[in-house]
Amino acid sequence: MKKVEAIIQTSRLTPVKDALQEIGIDGMTVSEVRGHGRQKGHTEIYRGNEYTVDLLPKIKIEIVLPDDRLEQVLDTLLQAAKTGKIGDGKIFVYNVEEAIRIRNEERGDLAL
Amino acid sequence: MPNSFMQPASSIPGYSATELSYLSYADLPRFYAAERARIWAEFESSKDGGQYVLARTALVDVLVQQTFREFLSRDLLAPRNFCLVAVGGYGRQELFPHSDVDLLFLSSDNRSPSLKRDTVSAMLQALWDLRLRIGHSNRTLADCYQFQPDQFEFTISLLDARYLAGGWEVFENLRQRAIPHLVARERQAIVARLEDFTVRRHQKHGGTIFHLEPNVKDAPGGLRDVQVARWLSQIANLEEKGAWDDPELGWPAAMREAARDGFRFLCDVRCFLHGFRSRDDNLLTYELQELAAAKAMGMRGELCADAADWMRHYFRKARSVDALATRMMEGSQSARTSLYGLYQDWKSRVSNTDFSVVRGRIFPRRSPLTGGDPALLFQLFEMVARHDLELSPEAGRWVEENLRSLDENQRAKPSDSKDKFPLGCWSHLRPVLSLPHSDRALRAMHQQGVIAKLILHFRLIDALVIRDYYHRYTVDEHTLRTIQCLADLRAVARSSQQEPLPGSMGSWRKKFAELLFEIERPDLVTLALLVHDIGKGMEAEEHLPGSIVAAEQTARRLGLNEEERETVEFLVAHHLEMSSAIRRLDTFDPQTVRWFSEKMGTVERLKMLCLVTYADIQAVNPEAMTPWKAEALWQFHVHCTNYLARSVDEERLEVAGPASAEVQKIAAHLGPSANPQDISHFLNGFPRRYLQTHTSEEIAAHFSRAVSPKKEKPLHVSVRRRESWYELTLIAADQPGIFSTLAGFLMAWGMNILKVEAFANCDGIIVDTFRFSDLFRTLELNPAEKAKLENQLLEVLTGNLELDTLLSSRLGSHAALHPKVRIPTRITFDPASSSHSTLLELVTQDFPGLLYHVSSLIADQGHDIHIALIDTEGQKAIDAFYLTSQGKKLSSEAGQALREAILNRLEQVKSTPTGLDPSP
Repeated sequence: MKKVEAIIQTSRLTPVKDALQEIGIDGMTVSEVRGHGRQKGHTEIYRGNEYTVDLLPKIKIEIVLPDDRLEQVLDTLLQAAKTGKIGDGKIFVYNVEEAIRIRNEERGDLAL
Repeated sequence: MPNSFMQPASSIPGYSATELSYLSYADLPRFYAAERARIWAEFESSKDGGQYVLARTALVDVLVQQTFREFLSRDLLAPRNFCLVAVGGYGRQELFPHSDVDLLFLSSDNRSPSLKRDTVSAMLQALWDLRLRIGHSNRTLADCYQFQPDQFEFTISLLDARYLAGGWEVFENLRQRAIPHLVARERQAIVARLEDFTVRRHQKHGGTIFHLEPNVKDAPGGLRDVQVARWLSQIANLEEKGAWDDPELGWPAAMREAARDGFRFLCDVRCFLHGFRSRDDNLLTYELQELAAAKAMGMRGELCADAADWMRHYFRKARSVDALATRMMEGSQSARTSLYGLYQDWKSRVSNTDFSVVRGRIFPRRSPLTGGDPALLFQLFEMVARHDLELSPEAGRWVEENLRSLDENQRAKPSDSKDKFPLGCWSHLRPVLSLPHSDRALRAMHQQGVIAKLILHFRLIDALVIRDYYHRYTVDEHTLRTIQCLADLRAVARSSQQEPLPGSMGSWRKKFAELLFEIERPDLVTLALLVHDIGKGMEAEEHLPGSIVAAEQTARRLGLNEEERETVEFLVAHHLEMSSAIRRLDTFDPQTVRWFSEKMGTVERLKMLCLVTYADIQAVNPEAMTPWKAEALWQFHVHCTNYLARSVDEERLEVAGPASAEVQKIAAHLGPSANPQDISHFLNGFPRRYLQTHTSEEIAAHFSRAVSPKKEKPLHVSVRRRESWYELTLIAADQPGIFSTLAGFLMAWGMNILKVEAFANCDGIIVDTFRFSDLFRTLELNPAEKAKLENQLLEVLTGNLELDTLLSSRLGSHAALHPKVRIPTRITFDPASSSHSTLLELVTQDFPGLLYHVSSLIADQGHDIHIALIDTEGQKAIDAFYLTSQGKKLSSEAGQALREAILNRLEQVKSTPTGLDPSP
């Protein structure tokens, strides 16, 4: 099993969610996060006060899936999350040792 | 349901007392299963929860007594040194299908030989084997004389003590001596602890009864609140009379029957929930609401159409229980002396001839006038909103009578009468909506049915459950919580605390509080929030169209002017868009910022919508507004504000022609002689902001003064009072230095300029609007001075009077205002915001005459002001000038020279004792 963690633009959440659902990925965890990569922040002036926007709002999506679905999910994510602009985000892939559904204690792919 | 302290519960139908006493321990599981099934079947048939809890208590009494016989004593009355007592819900004979069974093994002293630990354990084990959820405690009588704050739940459970078996004298000692003695000595501590527990429990449930999925036991208005009301009453009995009594007799007579009715309803529902869930689960979920409605649970013959209707029934019952518990707690509070009490007494100083205030409650001093008195009605709520008061029961009745009289009076009037309540009540309602505790006043108005009178459609969302995943409260409760959120921001803005506010939202609350402090019409934001979700009560797919209709009708009904009406409708129509934008759009994208800013039109509207959005999200549920969302909302607001401030010069009007909507709207305010072609020509070249910051009626007035039939150069000055400030409008042909002349003239009159918008059209006609405060109340105390000011300004502008003459008498004549906060000066030149002018932004400490100093320096250096946007926030001046020099943008050298000149002048002003001396 693999865990895919994608940091994407806030505005791409709905298209990404829809695209994943279209290929049969319904389960995911979505979090509101803040951060920056190479995009870094910038300085804003508001009513005479200067402040730095160094951590930008992003969305983190986490999905755990069987190994054989990984490439399809990555392709879908890349297509749906890409705007071509700086700040489109990143995708990380991890190995997952075990998954257990708490309700009935199913394990492995069955629990996904 | 009166408590019985002495007797075990009634017997089991079909069994004599003797038969029950001979039930063998081995027979108990079969007996229990059969009887449990029987009483559940009876409940399913009768739906009477009250009967069920009595029957189950009687059944459990048999089980406990027979087990007592088996393990402790064949003769129930034989033991002399100890007794078995039912406490808590079991003691008061309210055992729901899965309630705990709480037992107290009470010994006369520590030496009770018959009460051995092993035997007690064996008895408890036997009861557990019967699948009863047993809770137990062992105490001596001496323990029960002591109040242990950390064992408060045990102390309070003693108030429901009921004899089961064992030494009768031991129980009598508990009931007649230990508990009365304990209460007499520790009443204040017990009541304080009980209130503390209750407040915490309510807070855990959001402090409201109006949950979409309420907990029927622990939420406000739930069964636990009935117990609190009983306990408080019983404590008062024991302390005042030294005797036990039916606690319900201590409830206010006017509330008693409704509260009992509420209790019966809640009993029915809790039984149903336990039965359906097969556990002690008291959450009334959507699914179970459907089922309860289908079974007409608790309705006792009344009809309900669907789950939403049934839930309204639930809320009515919970409301009466909640009101009783609140009243009982207030009663016990007032009986205690405390600092809080002294503070409440202090509030009585706010009493006036119509209302008196006693211990934080407001009382009417006279009966309502025949025919009702709307002004006095609103005055009552204004006092509540101003001083954070509660309505006394007398005030509640007074409001009801007043409304009844108003209703009768309405019926007597012709249907087209324009003075029918609440038509035109806006001037009365408006102060209530912007005062510090408007949330409290509006809650009281809602409870008394006043809001439903003011806003016709409001009753559609009364206790309305709309199911969605995020919302936690009914629609009316959500609405009131949005206003509570504004009150919270107001409290933050008023607080002088410099340290960061606690919690992850602390810094954001401060920022949004500043925003609330900056807007001019918080009352319009509150009104928009009051109506923003009314459409949810209408039959439609989307709620927005219904809410817009409600906003429009409410605004007309109450008598808002055109500008106010448009603002409220705008806020309601767009109330979902900002939260949608931060979730769905790239709010850092300049195109998105431009698109949204143009939709908003003005910074003021943007700020108001931002506050509506903040409050709307916050009121969904306590976790809905996260720091992430707050930051995203704030940043989007900043981007749009900056865009609006920096794009004024680029966004110019190019009106399509006489048939355009803008022209037609203005023409509607002018006579038939007004030529639409002339109107179109007049508008061309003004910044788009001109249309957004003036009503069509105002623009029509500007037009009629600017365009004279004789083609003369226009020159018109008018001053009018608005709110707490004055507004001067100048319509004239542009000429060099006219802006600084105007600023200097107002300074010479001792006026403090707060806000300016100075625009010009393609023909060089200027429309300058100066908002100023009358520092020395010259115009307020001498009404004739207004005409003098207007005439004198005309004299100055036509060259018949020297401005310097006027200024010489003013300069140095009064001391500078002492700044409470230091605002550092910041000057920026932005050549990129406009294609043909340079934007000068100046942020500095405000002082009277600042604008004159800056604008005269600009004029002295040969620059022209095309647009000026002047604003003040407290003691901060935020000025923007779009400048050209000989028709072109300023060179960097010219900009540098102007910057130095301004900085030098401000430095001179600061170092001059009067603050005003340095002559331009």
